[in-house]
Amino acid sequence: MTTVRAAVDPYAEAAPASAVRFLPALNPLAKLAGPAPAMVMLVFVRDLATPLAFLTLAYAVLLVGARTTARLAVLLLVALPAAAVVIGLGFSLWVDPAGVDHGTVVLRIGDWRLYGGAVGIGLATGLRLVAIVALALIAGLTTTGPDLARALVQQLRMPYRIGYTALAAFRFVPRFRHELDVIRQAHRVRGANGGAGPFAAAVRWTGYVIPLLAGAIRHAERVALAMDARAFGAFPDRTERHEVPFRARDVVFVVAFLVVSAAILALFFPWRPA
Amino acid sequence: MTATDRAASAASAAGGSPRRLVRVREVRITHEGADAAAPDGASLDVRPGEVVLLLGPSGSGKSTLTLALNGLIPHDVPAVVTGEVEVAGRDARVTPVSVLSQHVGMVFQDPDAQLVTGTVLDEVAFGPENLRVPVGDVLARAETALRRVGLWERRGDNPDRLSGGGRQRLAIAAALALGSELLVLDEPTANLDPQGIDEVYAALAEVVASGDRAILLVEHNLDAAVGLVQRVVVLDAHGRTIADGPVDDVLRGRAQELHDLGVWLPTSTLAALRLRRAGFVLDPLPLTPAELRASLEAQGERPPHPAEQPASPTPALAAESRAPLISVRGMTLRRGRTEVLHDIDLEIGAGEFVAVVGANGAGKTSLVQAIAGVLRPPRGTVRVDGLDVARADARALAAHIGFVFQNPEHQFIAHTVHDELAHGLRRLPAAEADARIADVLARFGLTGKEALHPFLLSGGQKRRLSVGTALVAGAPVLALDEPTFGQDRARADELLGLLAALNADGTTVIVVTHDMQLVTEYARRTIVLRAGRILADAATAEVFADDALVERAGLRLPPLRQALHGMPRHPSLAGIARIADLPGGIA
Repeated sequence: MTTVRAAVDPYAEAAPASAVRFLPALNPLAKLAGPAPAMVMLVFVRDLATPLAFLTLAYAVLLVGARTTARLAVLLLVALPAAAVVIGLGFSLWVDPAGVDHGTVVLRIGDWRLYGGAVGIGLATGLRLVAIVALALIAGLTTTGPDLARALVQQLRMPYRIGYTALAAFRFVPRFRHELDVIRQAHRVRGANGGAGPFAAAVRWTGYVIPLLAGAIRHAERVALAMDARAFGAFPDRTERHEVPFRARDVVFVVAFLVVSAAILALFFPWRPA
Repeated sequence: MTATDRAASAASAAGGSPRRLVRVREVRITHEGADAAAPDGASLDVRPGEVVLLLGPSGSGKSTLTLALNGLIPHDVPAVVTGEVEVAGRDARVTPVSVLSQHVGMVFQDPDAQLVTGTVLDEVAFGPENLRVPVGDVLARAETALRRVGLWERRGDNPDRLSGGGRQRLAIAAALALGSELLVLDEPTANLDPQGIDEVYAALAEVVASGDRAILLVEHNLDAAVGLVQRVVVLDAHGRTIADGPVDDVLRGRAQELHDLGVWLPTSTLAALRLRRAGFVLDPLPLTPAELRASLEAQGERPPHPAEQPASPTPALAAESRAPLISVRGMTLRRGRTEVLHDIDLEIGAGEFVAVVGANGAGKTSLVQAIAGVLRPPRGTVRVDGLDVARADARALAAHIGFVFQNPEHQFIAHTVHDELAHGLRRLPAAEADARIADVLARFGLTGKEALHPFLLSGGQKRRLSVGTALVAGAPVLALDEPTFGQDRARADELLGLLAALNADGTTVIVVTHDMQLVTEYARRTIVLRAGRILADAATAEVFADDALVERAGLRLPPLRQALHGMPRHPSLAGIARIADLPGGIA
């Protein structure tokens, strides 16, 4: 008999933290609503300073407000900077060289030149994307799935049948991962590898889809029966033991975040005619 | 309700017998797309506090009937229901599931498929919350339910961290918390190991002891269940009620008839039927190992027909004279960073039937997977018919050893049954391959199914195809991982019959299992693992004759051994582990 165990427990209650770590206690919707306008604006800016300012803001909020874990440290200090550089260089090769400033040449290989202007545009793009991700992490790293579902049901009046079904679906993930491992193992033993290369890999993965889907549909049907057997959806609402209230501090967080975002935009005003 | 029924129920009420919780009359259920009804004419009653066992051969519609009791059929699962299904005085065919679920709590077979929340406490609270029970009452109900199944201390845990038996106890608590007077359990222990089965029945015994809930149980593992049951309802192959009465009348009184019908009986009862034929006086017919033991002990010292001694002692191991077909030398196996098998030495001869047993986490599956090349063993440590498993490619491996996964669907890779079999024969000339495929189809009862998609086969056919694909390339060895896990008894028996036939034709069979009676019935040799080492490797009868060994390995004695082991008054029976070895077989 094989038991499925999740590597990371998506439901684990956050351990109590000091009052300074304010983010986990905030309403998930506040953590999404505060940074959202800034994330949208970042899509449209072109300069380097604005994304850098928002990146700093996101880092500051996370480092103060979220509990310090190894995962947070790796994400903020290694993964995001690395992503900014890789994306930045990638884009600098991709931009149309005709449209950039030819003032400086960073690299020359034969006839091909990498101009300073291209690198600038590339890095600005990388920085923008990373800043958007960092802002999303404010909610992403400090919110549990169940809390988000509860907030959606309680504040946004999402029908609870949808919210709590999504919650139940969280349980599917480790099970399907395990099932996929077994299927891959079985197919490998049967010699269904079909060789190396991307094409063979694609064929191989389509072979996994049918058994995985068949298992998934059957599992989902059973879970649905089990939920209905326990009166799921009996009434338009249900008892809520975990209130996720929208409190004054949530309003303060949203307003403060919006004011700071507006201040940054006003300060750097990135759409000034060049 | 007819006038006579009304009179009858009034009479029973007057006689002090309480009202009926469930009243099922002449129920016929036809699933959408099915051409026959199953059950087809089932009737049964459940009264408050009663424990009722629902029996019937495979396909008689037992599970379907349980789903109709809380309205999942026809409200969730499309089907046509005729006849009367009355639950707490309401017509279950038109009452919503949410209302019926307050009267009927369900526990299903797969513990994983009925958990929806992130903690044990939330799980139990889920039902009452859906019923808008106030928060204080939800917590009170949850605490009562969790204490009854012994999980209150673990209320903050993720259900994933519970064992299989623990998760199934949680499902029972969740059903209790709904406040229903009736608990319906559909094969609640089919997916559990022996320890989990014990846990679930201990929890159910608690529920029964308090007497406030009725239980309707569908179960094939009667050895564990029979001690709890008060009344038995039996459906025939079509799903018509043919017996309904107290355990004594039905199970003891009509055991032979039920057995002939294909209904699974407790091992001790099967053994007793056989011993009766050998002249033992076993009256009343025993249902549990303890009863069988007690009534044998009550008899004279010798069996009444001393001439009818057990047919043959366990056959000698086939490996003795021949060179081993499989040899494992000093194999140490790691999975990730943990070493799961330590320095294993093992030889298996051609034509053996070997069971690998052990507690959870002992390394049973890892050992057999390493032998079959599913996990790569270190080079040179595992040889199958001379082939070094670690260096073999998939095709060479398939020609030497076939591996059957727990779920046959996982290993299907082609879009038709024919191609599924042909996959193992890609190197052969077409004519020869087709001849072999036709042979396998015929041998495994799949002729005429060649063009079907493997996923459209029935459960039993899928299992037979998975065995066929493992053997089509000519492998002399077949290894199976928990082949009877989660299956009903009929399908398990069919599979084991197939394996026994293959074994008789010379195929070496290695099977990982936690079903101890299965081991003793079929395997001539048993390898016991504990914590990644071989604790014992001997003839099956020898292994199970050693109580200390069985306990040290964390195993359970199979029911027949529990009844017979070390009986001073019947030395000729004391060593028997297989029903087939008992006197009284038809010669």
